[in-house]
Amino acid sequence: MSNWTRGKRRETRENEHENGSSGPSRWSHCRKRGVDGSLRANREEDAGREKGGHSDSRNASFTTPEGTGPVSRCGRKADWGTQVENDEMKRDVHRDMQRYRRRILGAEVTQRERKISSGSSGSCDSKEGEHIETDEAVLLRRQKQINYGKNTLAYDRYIKEVPKHIRQPGVHPKTPNKFRKYSRRSWDQQIKLWKVKLHAWDPPTEEGQDKVLDDIEELGIDDVMDIELDFPDFQNVPASLTTHSCSLEGADDCSGTPVKIQKTETTVQPDLA
Amino acid sequence: MENSAEEYRIQSLDMDTQMLLKTALKDPSSVNLEKVSDILVDQSLKDQVFSKEAGRICYTIVQAEAKQNNGNVFRRSLLNRLQQEFKSREETRARSLQEWVCLVTFICNIFDYLKVNNMPMVALVHPVYDCLIRLSKPDALMNEEEVDCLVLQLHRIGEQLEKVNGPRMNELFYLLRDGFLLQEGITSMARLLLLEILEFRAGGLGAQRHRPQVLLQ
Repeated sequence: MSNWTRGKRRETRENEHENGSSGPSRWSHCRKRGVDGSLRANREEDAGREKGGHSDSRNASFTTPEGTGPVSRCGRKADWGTQVENDEMKRDVHRDMQRYRRRILGAEVTQRERKISSGSSGSCDSKEGEHIETDEAVLLRRQKQINYGKNTLAYDRYIKEVPKHIRQPGVHPKTPNKFRKYSRRSWDQQIKLWKVKLHAWDPPTEEGQDKVLDDIEELGIDDVMDIELDFPDFQNVPASLTTHSCSLEGADDCSGTPVKIQKTETTVQPDLA
Repeated sequence: MENSAEEYRIQSLDMDTQMLLKTALKDPSSVNLEKVSDILVDQSLKDQVFSKEAGRICYTIVQAEAKQNNGNVFRRSLLNRLQQEFKSREETRARSLQEWVCLVTFICNIFDYLKVNNMPMVALVHPVYDCLIRLSKPDALMNEEEVDCLVLQLHRIGEQLEKVNGPRMNELFYLLRDGFLLQEGITSMARLLLLEILEFRAGGLGAQRHRPQVLLQ
């Protein structure tokens, strides 16, 4: 579909519910930080309205910015801060790759034994040394996606509340491995699921606007606590099961309710066996 | 500790600003880092001594912020503010030579102190060259203040600059050589400084130990 027709369609759809919905999506509540590190919800809503480019009710961050002026994405590429950040990311990725190479080549045998990390197919896990993604463009794109996920309040809370040694594969979000060979589709899906999972650690919203969401979030965190207490049980789950549950349970994530995730988790696993 | 130099520099500011900077050095996330970067740039443009040392303060804040929450808000706003100043450099120079010299000193100082994974920031290489080449133009060579600044910067960061972009260093030194040999009206002090820097480069820019006696007097 061409951009033009798509635009047309969207327009008509917007008109339909222009009166119905008010303001930006309620899901877009101050979960992300702006460039300056502070919450960016309100500013963005305003910006979205001023621009007029987004006549729909969606938050500006949901759509690609239209180059309306000097602050467009393209324009920002030229500023020194961004240049240096890109530069830094490039070098970090190269450094990471060297480390990763060293690590998996050094411990290839043990790596094969405990292939617990998520993966769409087992074949990726076998001869790792030959299956490293080395394309810089791909790595940078992936790193950027990861950075977006990590630059959230939810992620900050997550790493603070759940120390690394407590994290369970399949239960807690795990950053996708950017060095594995994955199809674009598979990678994007992994990122999506990872981000959905991270939302379980979204900070509670202020002023009880999202009462329902609030409750769910609280429950979600409680649930996680339960699981932490269940720690020994999880150890007993066979490794193969955990591997599967990882991708399977991901599909359930789309429901967006952390409570559900944990619940289905426990029921799904016996099914598999 | 290294803090003494910073402390000393910070003394020249008013009390509120001092407090803000000290907090920024210790707990960057608790202050408005954009404001901090603006203060540092503003002060650097006013105070030449400050502009020579501000890089160290900036470096410390960048480190502290990265350590605290992996952030780079300060660096980003510092660089972008600096870019603004850089864009309007000709107006600045026309308005106040002193401010222009401070600007060059500060940019070079930042280039010297702030590194990305131990490498100079690529984004700053051309701007720094642009500034130094501007200082090497005939009208600037007439001006001792500018020549002095140029020579100082080349001593400090000349070697790094040449490593990341040799051809532009050649371009710069052709200007200096021609200025030294052909240009009339250059003061004897400026001429002396030019001769010194030409010889300095002939001996390899980095070789601090071979620094000629002329300057050490």
